[in-house]
Amino acid sequence: MSGQHFPAWLADFQQQFGDALRTPLGRDNRSLRAAVETYDPALLQLAVPGAQLTSAERLAIYNRQYWFRLFTLFHGAFPLTTRLLSHFTFNGYVSRFLETQPPSDWDIDAALRGFEQFLVQALLVGTVPIEGQRAGVARPAVLQAARIDAAFHDVFRAPAVTPFHPGPEHAESLFSSRLVASPAMALLQEHWPLCELRKSVLTDPAETAIALSAPHSEPRFSVLLREGTKLVLLPLELREARLLTLLSELPVGAALAKLEQECSVEEQPTLPANTQRWLARSVELGLWVGLSPE
Amino acid sequence: MTAGLPQLPRDALGLGLRIPHYADLFAAWPHVDYFEIISENFLGDAQPPRRHLDLVRERYPLVLHGVGLNLLGSAPLDSAYLDKLCWLAEYVNAPFVTDHLCWTGSHGLSHHDLLPVPYVADLIGVAAERAALVQRQLGRPFGLENLSSYVEFQTSTMPEWEFYSGVVKQAGCWFMLDVNNIYVSSQNHGFVAESYLSSIDFSRVLQVHIAGHAREPNGTIIDTHDHPVTDPVWQLYAHAWRQGGPFPTLLEWDDRIPPLAVALAELGKAAQVRA
Repeated sequence: MSGQHFPAWLADFQQQFGDALRTPLGRDNRSLRAAVETYDPALLQLAVPGAQLTSAERLAIYNRQYWFRLFTLFHGAFPLTTRLLSHFTFNGYVSRFLETQPPSDWDIDAALRGFEQFLVQALLVGTVPIEGQRAGVARPAVLQAARIDAAFHDVFRAPAVTPFHPGPEHAESLFSSRLVASPAMALLQEHWPLCELRKSVLTDPAETAIALSAPHSEPRFSVLLREGTKLVLLPLELREARLLTLLSELPVGAALAKLEQECSVEEQPTLPANTQRWLARSVELGLWVGLSPE
Repeated sequence: MTAGLPQLPRDALGLGLRIPHYADLFAAWPHVDYFEIISENFLGDAQPPRRHLDLVRERYPLVLHGVGLNLLGSAPLDSAYLDKLCWLAEYVNAPFVTDHLCWTGSHGLSHHDLLPVPYVADLIGVAAERAALVQRQLGRPFGLENLSSYVEFQTSTMPEWEFYSGVVKQAGCWFMLDVNNIYVSSQNHGFVAESYLSSIDFSRVLQVHIAGHAREPNGTIIDTHDHPVTDPVWQLYAHAWRQGGPFPTLLEWDDRIPPLAVALAELGKAAQVRA
């Protein structure tokens, strides 16, 4: 874009400085410290020491700022996951994630992309041991919390959408087409009262791990959707949640058939009316944005 | 350059628009001369920020303040980013747009911080060329903000203010002068803040920022924007006003954000300080 280019030394300087900035913080005694001993000696030579701080300590300010700015971003996007793990342990995962995938976009929010999947891998496969990790925290609960946190974040930040309202013109193709789920909605499943817990941690500034309440006797389902600039969480009936999940994955006709197959004999008599009601509600709530031919 | 653009009163008092203030703002629409938005918060396609922006832009003049231009980055400017910035400036009909005289990333990575460079003559030309290009593309005044910094470099051959003035003058752009940053850097690097001000051509000052900072136990001052403006910064602001006022003045408060009324009261002190 610019015709003229900066001198070559600037790129070298910025590489050195960038490396120092991104140096992971040491995790000693449950506190984080800048590992100044790992900074490039050439960069240390370049930085001017002061009366109160050495050149390494000056660079360390930027090193800490880099990490804490990003930790704060991740705490904001994953508040429940953060508190289930404790800030210290969660920061360990964030640090490992960003070491492999440092931010590259002007939009700082883009740094969050892929973190939920990273966490799933790290927790399920256990490939990312984190110092100070709490023993006994229920991994499935953390994974479900991460899914819920990610859903809240993604639904809120979804672009403007136009809800889909099927009309007579769609009658012919409806059953063979798939409904396209709105990016401004998410289906949630909870085996623990996690959404309630999430609400409570938003106003709690503590950094320690919180205890998990007893699990629900049966999983609960809900739909998270954006209304205006607010997020709304609505409970779903078990079969309603199943229908919405199937509709997100299969053509409408196939989804309805599969739901029917899955229902018990006792449920069958009321299924047609219920299905009509659930479908109408989903349209009314704006859960779909279009039809996709299969 | 400014034909057809809205103009702020030269003595206007503005506030950085922040999410924790939305509820109070939307409930009462208090008098504020203008708001400044962080450009990057509104460049994406998420709907809620756009809806909030629409509510505010209908009622107040808005200026844009960016943190992602990466003017001094060794890589070329990001044309897609600049296109979005131009769109936003047009969308809110901004009287002017500002960003920082710094780099924020390199080698394909973004560090999301405002980082200094060695102040040397051979960076001025390219920095000025880039700033001029940005201003041309925006079609409205573009201001560069001086940094608060925690490190200086042995290879610098001139003080920051000489570098800053050199870029602004050569680019034909504007100063977005942050007096808190001058104070922070003066304390961290041991220069006289008033000397910095004396090098500034106030006829080219688009806006002045004021903000709070925090002092670490070791004496270092960190530009936290999480406190009221300190007395030394008010004194420096008064000095700047005597030297080159009037100029639009904007209060930034980015962390531990108080209620809107408290922030507005802090902003109101500017009028008292300069009276």
